[in-house]
Amino acid sequence: MTLTGMKKHVGVLEQAGLVTTKKIGRVRTCQLGPRRLEEETMWLERYRQRWDERFDELDKVVEELTRKEKSDERKNRK
Amino acid sequence: MNARIESEPGPVKNRTTVERKSDREVVVTRTINGPARIVFEAFTKAELLKRWWVPKSMGMTLLSCEVDARVGGKYRLVFDHGGPEPAAFFGTYVEVQPYSRLAWTNEEGGEGGAVTTVTFEEKGGKTLVVLRESYPSKEALDAAGTGAADAMVETFDQLDELLVALGESSGQ
Repeated sequence: MTLTGMKKHVGVLEQAGLVTTKKIGRVRTCQLGPRRLEEETMWLERYRQRWDERFDELDKVVEELTRKEKSDERKNRK
Repeated sequence: MNARIESEPGPVKNRTTVERKSDREVVVTRTINGPARIVFEAFTKAELLKRWWVPKSMGMTLLSCEVDARVGGKYRLVFDHGGPEPAAFFGTYVEVQPYSRLAWTNEEGGEGGAVTTVTFEEKGGKTLVVLRESYPSKEALDAAGTGAADAMVETFDQLDELLVALGESSGQ
């Protein structure tokens, strides 16, 4: 990885609060920031689970209505 | 931050993906097995919405559900979450394009509330649902996140009790 590429990557992590950096002379030191990656991942996973459960229920409702509509159409054609 | 989490692909079940698009936005996508018209109805008719919006695993029961899905129309959902007071979630519809697009505000949290935009895209009899929650600031999103997380821990404590009660009330 080039130095410029590295700088860019670190910049993104810093912006997200995942690392903090400090420059002393020619050396820039990185350390873990206020926000932890596990916390971030946990938050997203909880959020995803909530929507996943909700959409599973939606799927059931929509499948039932779709089936009902199709059988009604068949009845109407008779 | 652009972390992305996907569920395990099951044989029939569609995957729900969540992506944090920016500091202020989270996007959820899911394909639903049915035409856009029916999925849209399930979002906009109270008697359908209340059948899926609160899965049992959330540990909450829906006490009432009012939906007026017109631009400027209001919705109001009231939940029993096991606490002393029921919790109300309410807001206003800001965009209503039948079968393709829906947007509403979330006003229960005051000024930090998100705007939820949902698009419905039909393909081969199935509908891709893309739901975007935009918060006014990064702080508002973070606050919503931790709030929801705390609430989850709280409700897990009462989950056993509630599941028994729900099992009895569903009469199975």
